[in-house]
Amino acid sequence: MTDQRKEQAKRRTDQMVISRGIQQGDKVLDLGCGRGSLLQLLIREKQVQGIGVDNDPTKVLECIRKGISVYQSDVDQALNIFPDQSFDRVILSRTIEHLDHAGNTIEQALRVGKRVTIGFINHGFWVNRLNYFLKGNRTINDVYPDPWYNSAPVTLFSLNNFEEYCHSHNIRIHERICLDGNWKNECSLFPNLLAGYVIVDISR
Amino acid sequence: MESVEGSVGIVSPQDFISEEPFTFLNGESISNLTIRYETYGSLNEAKDNGILICHALSGDHHCAGFHEDAKKPGWWDNIIGPGKPIDTEKYFVISSNCLGGCQGTTGPASIDPSTSEPYNLKFPRLTIADMVKAQKLLLDHLGISTLHAAIGGSMGGMQAMQWMIQYPEIPQKVLILASTARQSTQAIAFNEVGRTAIHQDPAWHHGNYTKEKPPATGLSIARMMAHITYLSNRGLETKFGRDRRKQDPGHLTDVEFEVESYLRYQGQSFVNRFDANTYLYFSKALDTFDLYGPENDLTQAFKEVQAKVLAIGFTSDWLFPPEENQQIIQALLKLGKKASYAEIESELGHDSFLLESEHYFNTVRAFLEIK
Repeated sequence: MTDQRKEQAKRRTDQMVISRGIQQGDKVLDLGCGRGSLLQLLIREKQVQGIGVDNDPTKVLECIRKGISVYQSDVDQALNIFPDQSFDRVILSRTIEHLDHAGNTIEQALRVGKRVTIGFINHGFWVNRLNYFLKGNRTINDVYPDPWYNSAPVTLFSLNNFEEYCHSHNIRIHERICLDGNWKNECSLFPNLLAGYVIVDISR
Repeated sequence: MESVEGSVGIVSPQDFISEEPFTFLNGESISNLTIRYETYGSLNEAKDNGILICHALSGDHHCAGFHEDAKKPGWWDNIIGPGKPIDTEKYFVISSNCLGGCQGTTGPASIDPSTSEPYNLKFPRLTIADMVKAQKLLLDHLGISTLHAAIGGSMGGMQAMQWMIQYPEIPQKVLILASTARQSTQAIAFNEVGRTAIHQDPAWHHGNYTKEKPPATGLSIARMMAHITYLSNRGLETKFGRDRRKQDPGHLTDVEFEVESYLRYQGQSFVNRFDANTYLYFSKALDTFDLYGPENDLTQAFKEVQAKVLAIGFTSDWLFPPEENQQIIQALLKLGKKASYAEIESELGHDSFLLESEHYFNTVRAFLEIK
């Protein structure tokens, strides 16, 4: 499978898992919504009232084409707009690794959303550890496609890092779904080592 | 980029004359009302493909195509036409001169039938809401009870917003460009300087000047200054830089730099087509437009909005900056309305909304096309 096909398959799984946790008619805020395909799915399947936020004008245009309400800005500025607990669900799918001071964003997301869904890449995944241990190098694959000299800054953290953060910041993890390296199957054994991607459902 | 094709071609304006008195928000009235307008494209059978274009302070009804023998087309010909983002093959585009205007619609320069003299300052004080009320009369006359979209930039954006508040069931979509729910203090300050130039002109005569001897100096100064606020520092630098019109500067008041020549031309040509009293009335309508209301809460104004809304801000617009456009959409989103905000990178200031740019045009086209 080409890198692009792998990436698309992963995106579909991500979306399917996230949509399982959404109720009919929920008010959803998708931070870092990209081209709006998740929101489009949620609107179609669950009739959500959705708002997307993205900083990339090309992606915003795609959302407009899809008829999705979209607000062009960085996610922190967008979160400031909304009163406490005004959304049933705030989604950060593959977004937090691209943020400055992700902790601040997570705090604000927890303020604005009754539940927050975060999908993130588990950097503790064994392939990354092997690359560091054997070669001392960053992984380059379909998950991390860009070399160091040609990529935006990205914050690397593991599932354990994330769970420690939640415990020390009074954040409840309601559900945690770990997907294997291909993001196809759920894996429950040694997740910090064997999970490629994790989706958590959290709240205060 | 999708095709940006031809022009609507030769067009001519029409007049809608209402014999009924028209009452303004402040209770005053005029005994009859003429609205000059143009349309492009055709109204479909369901009569639901109408797009209303609302013009800005110095605009008028002629936004696309060419008048007979004219060298230059309407002010928005780049975006309105067959195959263009505001596609006259799909939509019936309606554009009228605002109430209080001086390009054919009844305004201060029009003759008051009861006195056979121009209204001048006897013309009732007008608001954006009054402009919209007059536009509604035109739509009634055209048999249109639902609009595909109401579109406007700057003062036109204020009208578009007023449409979704005053007649929430009529526009299905509202496109707001480089606008604001209320002007900044700075914008009011600039307008005040412009007005002062006009009423301090010795030819002013309390607004009772003749057509032949208007307060031309004051009006052209107002226009020169306003024009600077529509541009950007960078844009001016790129266009003119330090270029000199002539090396020997001559007299202290002669044109020395290219930008001076440009501004003088802007001022002088404006006087040929615009009325000083209309300028005062329109600038006051801009200053007094305030959707924040007594509770300083924009969400109060938008409670009944039904339209799908898109506001576009332009990065170099320092007159109606992106933040003011964002605030419109923030208020709508807080109310759970269907609204989006997009930002266009531009170097050319407030006037960017009138200029062609690929991403901007794609965004307008996409918004108008969604179901």
